[in-house]
Amino acid sequence: MTKQQNPFSDPVVLVTLGVVLVAVAFALLIFQPSGAQTIAPASGAWAQIVVAFVTGLTTGGLSCLAVQGGLLASSLAHQIEQDFLAHAPKTHPKKHAKKIESVPAPHANSALPIFLFLVAKVAAYTLLGALLGWLGSFLSLSPMTRAFLMIAIGIFMIGNALRMFNVHPIFRYFSIEPPKFITRYIRRTAKGADTFTPLFLGALTVFIPCGVTQAMMATALGTGSALMGAALMLAFTLGTSPVFFALAWLTTTLGAKLEKFFMRFVAAVVLIFGFVTLDSGLNLIGSPLSLQNLTRAWFAPSSASAPALDADGSLTVNVQNQGYFPRTLRAAADTAFTLDLVTNETYSCARDFVIPSLNFYQLLPASGTVQVNIPPQPAGTKLFFTCSMGMYTGQIVFE
Amino acid sequence: MIKQTFRVADMSCSNCAMKLESLEDSLDGVKEINASYHKLSMTVEYDETRLTAAQIVEAVKRKGYTAVPA
Repeated sequence: MTKQQNPFSDPVVLVTLGVVLVAVAFALLIFQPSGAQTIAPASGAWAQIVVAFVTGLTTGGLSCLAVQGGLLASSLAHQIEQDFLAHAPKTHPKKHAKKIESVPAPHANSALPIFLFLVAKVAAYTLLGALLGWLGSFLSLSPMTRAFLMIAIGIFMIGNALRMFNVHPIFRYFSIEPPKFITRYIRRTAKGADTFTPLFLGALTVFIPCGVTQAMMATALGTGSALMGAALMLAFTLGTSPVFFALAWLTTTLGAKLEKFFMRFVAAVVLIFGFVTLDSGLNLIGSPLSLQNLTRAWFAPSSASAPALDADGSLTVNVQNQGYFPRTLRAAADTAFTLDLVTNETYSCARDFVIPSLNFYQLLPASGTVQVNIPPQPAGTKLFFTCSMGMYTGQIVFE
Repeated sequence: MIKQTFRVADMSCSNCAMKLESLEDSLDGVKEINASYHKLSMTVEYDETRLTAAQIVEAVKRKGYTAVPA
């Protein structure tokens, strides 16, 4: 192993700290009470960005490094070769500059290529997120379309997680293999020796995304907004940066066994997110098979939280930032009534109110009351309602 | 020139296929390598007068994988 120096004299450490600080600043910005107009801090969109950032910070870095580490090593190869020549001119440096497993801990001069690689990667993925979100805007014509997209994304994430767990060979097909002409082009470009190479290779990482990144790209597509897609991918790649840097730096000390352990951790996290996304999609189509709708009966509210009709023959749901209250309402079968949706300083995605089976969708005002006419329903019917992201749900039981 | 397929059962992602294909650049006598993570295999087109299957297996081993002629 290499001898230890004062870590703060190493620009790699300084750049790493810089990236960590940027990441922390970004995290603080996320939790700041006031913020952008288009992505309100209390909104579900903001929650998605936080999740993307935390996903990057916790699992994305390692997963990305496993797939894109070779490119980073290629970016560093020329610099390391020069460092090696400077320090040991009588040996054969090319042997030491070829593969990631032979890359020593980055030296002082490695800071710039690492930094350029990462900057290009963050920029490229942000643009990709914008593009995906923009493309998604053509797909998200209705909550139903979004629901099917979320279900597809959830299945994709679960499939990828099962692939990482090596459950069955069929799950290997959930991994997207880049076309050979792209991988060959990337490989040949990686031999470049100029400062442009790390920038270019960092940008090229969009063509070889890791499993977690692919899942995040699918989520960006599902946002249906260029701004949101870009913000999501920016948060994610920014989140991956500290871990990516730290692990790149520790490449020589991170053993294969430890890496395998982390990959299983990554797979577990992707699996959980996959099920959450799938469940949200099921909520959004009003399926009784979603986890929330299936388990609602187990936590069935008492009669106190399942009010009868108001005096004027209506039912009231309080739409709050944390969801819908009460979550279960009871109504008389075969009788039409009015559902009053009451908001009061509500800014979360609960405002995007959807009743899938009635094909009803409306963005509620932040404060106020919106009335929905509910047609007669036969006894035993459960009318599910949800937010447009499938996060918050409720039901009306007709009896 | 001959084409030979090898089974590489220990590939764990599509990046592994990329790593194996990079042998194109370092193995003398290789014309083309097509590796697939989906199929856990690699097909090598090479000049049998300059390279042997055993040498390919050894090169794959140096990359961290185990290739078995199919």
